[in-house]
Formats: sequence, C-alpha cells, structure tokens
Amino acid sequence: MQKISVIKLWAVIPYLVLAVFVLPILIVISSIFGEWSENWSHIYEYVLFDYIYNSSVLVIGVLFVAFIVGTTSAWLVTNYRFPGKDFLEWALILPLAVPSYILAYTFTGLFDTYGTANTMLRELLNYEEQISLFPNVRNISGAIIVFSFTLYPYVYLVTRSAFLNQSQSMLEAGRLLGLNNIQVFYKIGIPIIRPALIGGLMLVAMETLSDFGAVEHFAIQTFTTGIFRTWYGMYDIQTAMQLASMLLIFIGLFLMLEKYSRQNAKYTTKSSTFKPKKVNTLKGKSALLAFAFCFIPVFVGFILPISELFVWMYSYNMDYFNEKFWETATNTIFLGIISALLCSLFALIINFLIRLDIHNLSRVVSSFLSLGYGVPGLILAVGIVQLFVWLDRYFFTESEIILTGSLIGLIFAYIIKSYALSNSAIESGYERISIVLDESARTLNTGNLRLLSKIHIPLLKTSLLTSTLIVVSEVVKELPATLILRPFNFETLAVSTYIYAAEERMIQASAPAIAIVLVGLIPIIILTKMIRSSSIGRQR
Amino acid sequence: MKGSVLEIQNLSHSYENGNYTLENIDLVVNRGEIISIIGASGCGKTTLLRIIAGLEKQSKGTIKINQSIASDANFSTPPENRNIGLVVQDRALFPHLTIYENVNFGIRRLPNKIDIPLEYLKLFKVEKLSKKYPHEISGGEQQRVALARSMAPNPNILLLDEPFNALDSRLKSELHNETKKILKEKNSTVIIVSHDIEEAEFFSDKIYKMDNGQLAEISLMTKN
Repeated sequence: MQKISVIKLWAVIPYLVLAVFVLPILIVISSIFGEWSENWSHIYEYVLFDYIYNSSVLVIGVLFVAFIVGTTSAWLVTNYRFPGKDFLEWALILPLAVPSYILAYTFTGLFDTYGTANTMLRELLNYEEQISLFPNVRNISGAIIVFSFTLYPYVYLVTRSAFLNQSQSMLEAGRLLGLNNIQVFYKIGIPIIRPALIGGLMLVAMETLSDFGAVEHFAIQTFTTGIFRTWYGMYDIQTAMQLASMLLIFIGLFLMLEKYSRQNAKYTTKSSTFKPKKVNTLKGKSALLAFAFCFIPVFVGFILPISELFVWMYSYNMDYFNEKFWETATNTIFLGIISALLCSLFALIINFLIRLDIHNLSRVVSSFLSLGYGVPGLILAVGIVQLFVWLDRYFFTESEIILTGSLIGLIFAYIIKSYALSNSAIESGYERISIVLDESARTLNTGNLRLLSKIHIPLLKTSLLTSTLIVVSEVVKELPATLILRPFNFETLAVSTYIYAAEERMIQASAPAIAIVLVGLIPIIILTKMIRSSSIGRQR
Repeated sequence: MKGSVLEIQNLSHSYENGNYTLENIDLVVNRGEIISIIGASGCGKTTLLRIIAGLEKQSKGTIKINQSIASDANFSTPPENRNIGLVVQDRALFPHLTIYENVNFGIRRLPNKIDIPLEYLKLFKVEKLSKKYPHEISGGEQQRVALARSMAPNPNILLLDEPFNALDSRLKSELHNETKKILKEKNSTVIIVSHDIEEAEFFSDKIYKMDNGQLAEISLMTKN
C-alpha cells in the first residue's frame, strides 16, 4: 500500500548521514588504488605472512574455545538445574564488562614470574628459587585464552536465547530415537541453532581481529599492530591504509556471514507446536561438573581480573584515584555522554524515518550504519584522520588545524562504532509501539515533529536510556580509535590504562581499569534484567 | 454539491499487485448526516475510511472535504490537516497520557481548550477518570474516551471503524444510545463502518453496502 509522505525535508537526512558516515571507510579502501611504497615491499617480504598467520591462528583458536565455552554453558543453564545455576545464568555475561586488553594486563600481572599468582604460589610451596610456576602467557596461546574468556558471552547470549526457543518436543524426539543427553546436545541442539551460533561466532571473530590493546601487550604481530607500527613507526599512512584495507576485506567477509546467518535466524524460532523447555535437575558429580564448567569462564573472565585490579588498588591505598584520575574520568564520561546522545539521536531519527516509510533508503542506511560496529576502531581512525586532514586543507589555510586532532573526530568514530547498539535498542522499542497510535495522532492534527516529540519519544524513554547507557559503556572501553584520534594530551580511561600498561606500571593502571569495568557493568545489568524477564516469561 | 462535507468522485484503489480493492466509488455525505457502510470482512470498508482520513492514498479519483479538494491524482492533504476524527476498534489511546491529556491531544489549536476536554469527558460520562491512565480503566470506558477524543477537535467528519465491536452486548447497547444522542446533539457528520446491519440501522440516515469494491446505497429496513 502506498503511504503518504508528508515533509520531504525528512527524506534528505538519510542521504546526508550515509555520505558522511561512509567517507572514512571509502578513504581507507581507496588506498588500494594508490601507490604502493617501498615500505609495502618491506612489509610484504618480512612481516605480512606473520600478520596473516598470527591473525588466522588467533581467530581460529578463539572461535574454537568461545564455541565450546559459550554453547556448552548456555546449554547447561537452559536445560538443567544445578547448584549456582541462577547466579551463573547471568554471571556468565559478566566478562563482557572486561575489555580484552584489561584481561591481558591482569593476566601478565598475575602469571608473569613476579606476578601475584606466581608469588603467592611460591610462598605457599615455600619455593625460594624465583622461577615461574605458571606457563608464559605473553604468547598467542595466552592471547587466545584472553580473547576467548572475554568474548565467549557473545556466543553464550545468542545460543542461550536460541536454546530457549527450541521446542522440548524436538529434544524429546531425539531421546526417543536413541540419543543420550550429550548426543542430543551436539546432534540436535547445536545444528538447530546454527544460524544464531554463526552470528555470535562472527562477532567474536570481528572483535578479535579488531583488537589492538591485548595483542600489542602480548607483542603478537597481527594486522592491527602492523597498521599501528606502519603509521607511527614508519610514518607511512598510505601503507597503513593499504594494510587496513586488507583487514577490512577479512572483516567484510565475517560481516557478510554474520548478516547472512541473521537472515536465516527464523530457522530457530518457535513453531505452533512449540513445547516449553523441561528443566532437568542434576545431582552429585554431574551437578558439580556443570557448576565447574559454567563457573570457570566467569572466574577467568571476570573474578580473576577484578580481584587482581582490587589487589593492585588496595596495595597502594587507592593513591591512584587522584586528581589526574578524576580529570581522565571526567573526559571519558563527557565524551561518552556526548557520543551516546548523538548516537541515540541519529538512531531515533533514522528509525523514525523508517517508521514514516518515506522511502526504503532509511532502512538501507540503517543496516549499512549498523555494519560500523564491525569496522575496527583503528581503521576508522585512519580514515577519519585522512578525511579531516583533507577538510582542514580544503576549508582552512595550510597552517590551521581545526578538525584534525579535535574531539569531533573521536566523537565521529564513536558514533560510527556504536550506531548498531543504539539502533537495536531503539528499533526494538519502536516495534512495541503500535502503528495505530501514529494513525490516531495523525487524525488528531499531529504532524511529524509533534508525533515524534509527544508520542514516540515518551514511549521510547526506556529504549533511549538503554541506548545511551550502552553507548557510554562502549565508548569508555574503546581504545585504538581513541589512542589515535584524541587531541594532544587528552586522556581517557582506556588511554590512561594503555599508557600505564605499556610502561609496565600495572598498579597505576588499576584505577582507570576498574572504572572502565564498573561502567562496562551498566549494559550487563540491563542485559541481566532482560534475561531475567525472558526466563520469567518462559516459566509462565 | 452544496452542503456536502464529504464528496468522493470516481475513487478507485488497488494494491501493488494491481488487484482493485475499491472501484469507482462515488459518495456524498452532507452536514449532520450519519451514514453506515456495511459489508463482509476484507471488502474494503476500512481501506475507504483510511483513504478518507488521508492515511492511505487512492490510486485514482477525487476526495473533497468542505468543497475543497483534499486529495486527487496529484495532490494529497496530510491527515493532520484534514480535521477528520477516527475511532478504531482497538481505541488506540496513548498509553503514556492521562485520560484528560488523551482527549486534549487533538484540540491544541482551538480556543477555550481547557474546557473542551472536560465537556466531552462529561458527555461520555468519564469525567471522573480524567486523571487515570488508559490501562487503569475498563474496555467500555476506553471506548468512551476514544470517542470523546475524536470528537473534541470538532472534526469535519467523524469516521468510526467498527467502534463497538470489542464490547459485550449490554455495554454495546448502552453506548449505542449515548453515542447516537451525542452525535445528533452535536450535529456531527459521521461515517460508521460496521458488519452489523442492526447497528447500522440504529445509527444511520443512509446505509451503503460494499460488495466487490463497489458501493451501493440500500434502503433502510432492508436486512440483506
């Protein structure tokens, strides 16, 4: 049915947003058609293979561990009752609050020769020799553990939700056909949720490839560390962009797979013959094993790093919560709130345009902007710097640097990175507002602006708040883009943590790191509430 | 035509697949007249109301409101500028606004706007609920509020799409009597869409039957 478009002015917005947001990425990709310098020959000859090999081993390893941990824990908490299950059901998402680079810092702080864990164990065993009792974590295996235990919640969240939607009848049919509990899990449970599972795993792959802080700390040569070194070590932004383009191609493949798997997600939705889950009670050894399997990821991904951070913090009487810390925290919160408000505003406008159904472009723009989540912060930063340098040269004199190195670039990068999060919060809010309300408002002398301000915004209050909080926590954690785009001498909590950790001043890093984790807990609390309500809904 | 509030000429509407849902509709509704459109589910009654309200655009034909063109092949007045009231079966009250605020919502451009919502809330006997929210009142009360809200802006024409459908027979009969009294008292111009011939006969000066996308007047007291 053809609907009526009212104010054509609204129709221009998606074009503008699309053009502005796509430019930095286009600039990076365009480097492929530029000159290939001598530095490129050097990289090609000596390090490119390492970048590809290390990045691939890292991604494959992380995907494997995250798959095992994420799916098994989700299966256990969805299908079984065992001691601690209610706690673990939501605690399993806690590691999302800990950025990979912070887990990496605490890992070295714990397991290096003079780390907390080694010292404690030596004292416990009365070892006088200063040897390391734990294996070295500053290698690719250590990085795989770090990424797996901070990123498995992506797999846990999607698979848990898909498992909840599985009908008990299917699983019972499996049992009647001769499968035991474990066979039902991998022969029926997992294959049925394949689309959702692939989606979750692709997010893990993208996050792993995008990371800079953890691999840099473990001195592993990957694409991101390569891009950073080419730019800051060789001062060759063109080659850095060419490397970034290669990484972008990999990320693009994962993004396409993720999108494709989401299109097929209805594969897992419940049918009219849906029979809710029957939760079996585990006892004895089985209950203990289930508890241990679900507790270990929470312990490694959350309890261990948090404990180490608190040990560091208290051992110095919290001296590092000083004036500098508060200044850094204020900078971060300021940036977070501005970016979150702008991001929520963009998502609101784009979703409002989709609602008005002026033309399909808004929908295309929204899906395109949502892909920004997968673009590594480092690549965005490279593109934005190039764009701003060009804008400064074009609009101002050679000596004037207005946009480059300003907060605008940072906020711009945060919005592109976080749009998907805002969009999903506001999109789901809009889905709950009946279109009949819009039509009633229209017949009551209500134009677009009034519809938005008097009906949609009040009804979307919770979604807008959720969107703002999630983006704030994402901005607080963001490291690579912040590191490159921040104005001179401007520090955020993530940058501050990185700088201290790079200088091996781990104790000083504890104050900003704890603040990051605490802010990161905000979306976890929101997610927990959602998980709780979904569980209650299921039980009814 | 002189005195007409709504004039529809040669209106047709088709879906994207090209199938016509409305075909060459002609209709004139005069001031103070109440007409009913009856017909089977899916025959296009609601689509016609939505087109009159401006929520959808017809494929061809002209709609005039108060002798001015509201919509034709090249032009369409947006719904918010047509001053047409619409009440639908599920009431569509704004859940975040109180009953008073709901009724007040459409009358911001009228003078004496403070008195108007109260006047309509009294007319529909829901003035005591003015501070409550829609979820705090019963279905029958919600329907009274929806009627009050749509009439409060003094619309050119009031469109009622199966407004009493979700009510039980006792409530329906009570609300029928009260609503008809108020509509006549206010000299409202009304189109009621219904599948209930008795309801149509109770309210209407004229009854039209929609069949295969075409509209034909039937005489009152004809029950088929």
